[in-house]
Amino acid sequence: MNNNQKKRNFQIEAFKHKVVVDPKYADKTWKILEHAIHEIYNHNASGLSFEELYRNAYNMVLHKFGEKLYSGLVSTMTFHLKEISKVIEAAQGGLFLEELNRKWADHNKALQMIRDILMYMDRTFIPSTHKTPVHELGLNLWRDNIIRSSKIQTRLLNTLLELILRERTGEVINRGLMRNIIKMLMDLGPSVYQEDFEKPFLEVSANFYRVESQQFIECCDCGDYLKKAERRLNEEIERVSHYLDAKSEAKITNVVEQEMIANHMLRLVHMENSGLVNMLLDDKYEDSGRMYSLFRRVSNGLSTIRDVMTSHIRETGKQLVTDPEKLKDPVEFVQCLLDEKDKYDKIISLAFSNDKTFQNALNSSFEFFINLNPRSPEFISLFVDDKLRKGLKGVSEEDIEIVLDKVMMLFRYLQEKDVFEKYYKQHLAKRLLSGKTVSDDAERSLIVKLKTECGYQFTSKLEGMFTDMKTSQDTMQGFYATHGSELGDGPTLVVQVLTTGSWPTQPSVTCNLPSEMSVLCEKFRSYYLGTHTGRRLSWQTNMGTADLKATFGKGQKHELNVSTYQMCVLVLFNNADRLSYKEIEQATEIPSSDLKRCLQSLACVKGKNVLRKEPMSKDIAEDDAFLVNEKFTSKFYKVKIGTVVAQKESEPEKQETRQRVEEDRKPQIEAAIVRIMKSRKVLDHNNIIAEVTKQLQSRFLANPSEIKKRIESLIEREFLERDNSDRRLYRYLA
Amino acid sequence: MGIQNDRVRFNVGGKIFETTATTLAVAGRNSFFGAMFDENWNFQTENSHEFFIDRNPNCFSILIDLLRTGELFIPSNIPEKLLYREAQFYGLLDHVRAAKWGPFDGNQVRFSQAVMGQAPGDGTAIRAGPDGGCCVAHGSIVHVYDWMLQELPPINLDYQRVNDIGWIDAETVVAATSERLGRGRGGAALFGAATGELTHRFQVTHEDQVKSYTAGALSFSTDYKIFSSCKGRSNEYGIGVWDQITGQQIDFYYEPIGWSLGDADRLQWLDNTNCLLVATLFPRKDNCYISLLDFREKEHGLVMVRYRGSNHRREAGPRRDRYGREQFHLSRLMKGKMPDEPCYPKLALYDGQLFSSMNDSISVFSGPDWVLTSRLRRSYGGSICDFSIGGDRLFALHSEENVFDIWEAPPPPVT
Repeated sequence: MNNNQKKRNFQIEAFKHKVVVDPKYADKTWKILEHAIHEIYNHNASGLSFEELYRNAYNMVLHKFGEKLYSGLVSTMTFHLKEISKVIEAAQGGLFLEELNRKWADHNKALQMIRDILMYMDRTFIPSTHKTPVHELGLNLWRDNIIRSSKIQTRLLNTLLELILRERTGEVINRGLMRNIIKMLMDLGPSVYQEDFEKPFLEVSANFYRVESQQFIECCDCGDYLKKAERRLNEEIERVSHYLDAKSEAKITNVVEQEMIANHMLRLVHMENSGLVNMLLDDKYEDSGRMYSLFRRVSNGLSTIRDVMTSHIRETGKQLVTDPEKLKDPVEFVQCLLDEKDKYDKIISLAFSNDKTFQNALNSSFEFFINLNPRSPEFISLFVDDKLRKGLKGVSEEDIEIVLDKVMMLFRYLQEKDVFEKYYKQHLAKRLLSGKTVSDDAERSLIVKLKTECGYQFTSKLEGMFTDMKTSQDTMQGFYATHGSELGDGPTLVVQVLTTGSWPTQPSVTCNLPSEMSVLCEKFRSYYLGTHTGRRLSWQTNMGTADLKATFGKGQKHELNVSTYQMCVLVLFNNADRLSYKEIEQATEIPSSDLKRCLQSLACVKGKNVLRKEPMSKDIAEDDAFLVNEKFTSKFYKVKIGTVVAQKESEPEKQETRQRVEEDRKPQIEAAIVRIMKSRKVLDHNNIIAEVTKQLQSRFLANPSEIKKRIESLIEREFLERDNSDRRLYRYLA
Repeated sequence: MGIQNDRVRFNVGGKIFETTATTLAVAGRNSFFGAMFDENWNFQTENSHEFFIDRNPNCFSILIDLLRTGELFIPSNIPEKLLYREAQFYGLLDHVRAAKWGPFDGNQVRFSQAVMGQAPGDGTAIRAGPDGGCCVAHGSIVHVYDWMLQELPPINLDYQRVNDIGWIDAETVVAATSERLGRGRGGAALFGAATGELTHRFQVTHEDQVKSYTAGALSFSTDYKIFSSCKGRSNEYGIGVWDQITGQQIDFYYEPIGWSLGDADRLQWLDNTNCLLVATLFPRKDNCYISLLDFREKEHGLVMVRYRGSNHRREAGPRRDRYGREQFHLSRLMKGKMPDEPCYPKLALYDGQLFSSMNDSISVFSGPDWVLTSRLRRSYGGSICDFSIGGDRLFALHSEENVFDIWEAPPPPVT
């Protein structure tokens, strides 16, 4: 513009075209259009000619009267909207919204028609002058003259909020009308909807739910409260879908979540008699599932549930594993653990949608309390022993697998897996040697599971035991094939040759076998050593069994199935009627604890008392005397006389096992230290402890002070040395 | 619209036409016919079933034919401008525009027309707009043309020499100009394409002081940034960055010693990698640089890579401008025999086709092996100093005469 003005001085006036013929042309044309706009607003458009109006508007723009046309439009439309505003204001009570809605529809229609007439202006004049297009202009004028007029703005908002409140309290409102009005606000632009409606709506809603949640929480139990909260949440979502902007859904649900859930979360979870703990105790899947789905909507919601569940499981688990009643029966003990696990697995799958974090919490809780009881490894092994001895009879293969898998799951929680291994070996040995195992497949299946869990090393010895059993069978066949003829009808000997190291070794205390047996044993020894040179054979009489044929006083014949010790005792009575405890002990040289147990089972068990004790009492004393019970009867021909075995280990035995476990750990810890140091060469104390612990945790939890002792020992043996300058560093000596 | 009585009778400027409401519906709601047939308006057939329109009947017949067939045939006796005016009246200009030329394909384009300008030769740059128009920079003025090739008011920034131009959108052109010695101002600014009015000046602030500067090459990123090489008066050389929407300066990358960012002749935004390629050529000297500014690190921790070459080496870089088209520019500088007014070869990549200008022709290379498939040549106007593709058109600016050619693909055949 500056340039133009400067240059004007030098410019020769251009020849002027006479563009406008009639000086009043513009005014006249505008009058026609203004009249048309009045007629349109007065519902009187039927007499208007579209072509004429369009042409007039076109001509005005063409002849540079666009500005006049535009400003005329603004003032005419504003005039009509002010009139409309008065009509709406005058509407009484409930008719207010309906009037507003009707006028809005009228205005929209009028706006469309006006835009049709002024289409040319809209397309050419408006973009080049950066003015507001006709449609948008119409909306803006409606907003400023109607929606934000002082007499309508608050009334509209209050009416809308009042209707929503009424709907919340159960009344039926005209949702169609609501939808139209809300749609109008949205059409006027997101800021109108948000500022004039949404923001106050959210505030009012927050207040409403704050008060309501307070009422509910005072008078409802947790389950009912959650049901109500869920219903409110769904109502709001439904409301949004019916007549609010879809973008409001997240905002209003957020309000409900905050007021009804987040603010009362702890109180709900811990609610007396109906909180989460009660839901868990009573297996209320539906209620706890509802709690899960509601709490997951708020931050920290799930962690709150999880923490309460975790501490509850830990607490009940701790009670369970330390309950002296439960400790009496290992099978029952483990069964309780399994039941507990099943219970929570079911809760997590039914109520907590199999949430991984919940499963992890469950696992860590089990790991926590199972290891609180140092006897857990033993008990789990005993449970397996029980199942594999008798419990699985008549159970299908699949069910066996299920039981074994569950056992494996408990096994995984154990920190001292090597202790389990120890016990498992003992129990397996007993099962194998006494031929008590029910299913070879089940045994092997469990070994395969242990192998996949802990590696080849863990099970190699267990597998060795099975191999020994098989080899022994072959050896016995060989023995009888070569010596069968010379043995005549003496006693039959079955020997199981066990590899030292594979089997749980017990200090072998040999007893005096009856002479006919020891002869046979010698024959086997010379046969075996003849075929396998360079081996040593020692008898483990404490682990054997024997079948005896016995005839009692009145001629009752029975076959007695007894242990080797029992056999030794009973055979003594072939040559004597009455023997004192001392005499028996001298003759057999059975260790006294074993002998007592063995005599107890022969004389004190009702129905199986093939011996008679004087005096009659439950326990065996040093000066007792024993006689054959001539009156022994049994409805079975075969009588199995069990040893009175302490199924659980006695206290000293337990100490012994523990000691052996500790002893076995030493080389493993040392091996781990050497492995680590070999690769790292130099490492400080804390890191060694950490790495050793990590390496060994699949087998047991290494004790730091024990690791320290092992390091000392390795330094003594010059595998490692301390660094000269930094005493905390260890160096590997190749 | 009455389906039963589909026939419509018009009297246009005294000539009777008959057509159907169905044909008129093709015009769309946002047109004269669309509004006329809306139920709001009582469609009157008062005078013997005739509807009078006070317009040119010859153009009406062309436009009604366009609505009937989708094809545009303009008889030689009708000036295009007349037809465009009539189409504008009915709100059918978009239909005309769509029927005039088809989707761009370098192997299908035909020469459409040449436009003569008043300015002397020696154009600086030509840039195709997104809707078929273009702008041409000559010295200190930019001529803007709409898609009908009607010249709009020209653009100038205090008549400072224009170094580069570009389209922000169909309504907005940005021009980068030199600072006038001793007078200040210059720099880059936004103009309304239709009005030629200055709408915004991009300012450069150094240490809280607004400084005048010379804006060189321009580039645009898809996240609405504008980059320009800048030369300030007190050695404030570097790359300025502005926001296209707010117009505010976002950043300024000062050139490190020896990097010549402020002198850059070409900037290219590499969209996929968030990098800016800066090419600086010193035609009289024996070296040129390509620098890569890595914007992946949001902060000033900007990684820069630099390639250096002598003048006979190639200098290249792909770019995607804000309309999503890949473009590729390359200059091969001829060592030794440097003409006084060199027309560097230019490259552009469009929709998988590579375009390369050399002397008075543009070669089109297609396919994965970039085989030469077409050559666009016009003997008139001398060698091509710049060309640009956009709005489904190719504009080529000649250096000797002030004339630019428009190449466009024919509309797809009506089946």
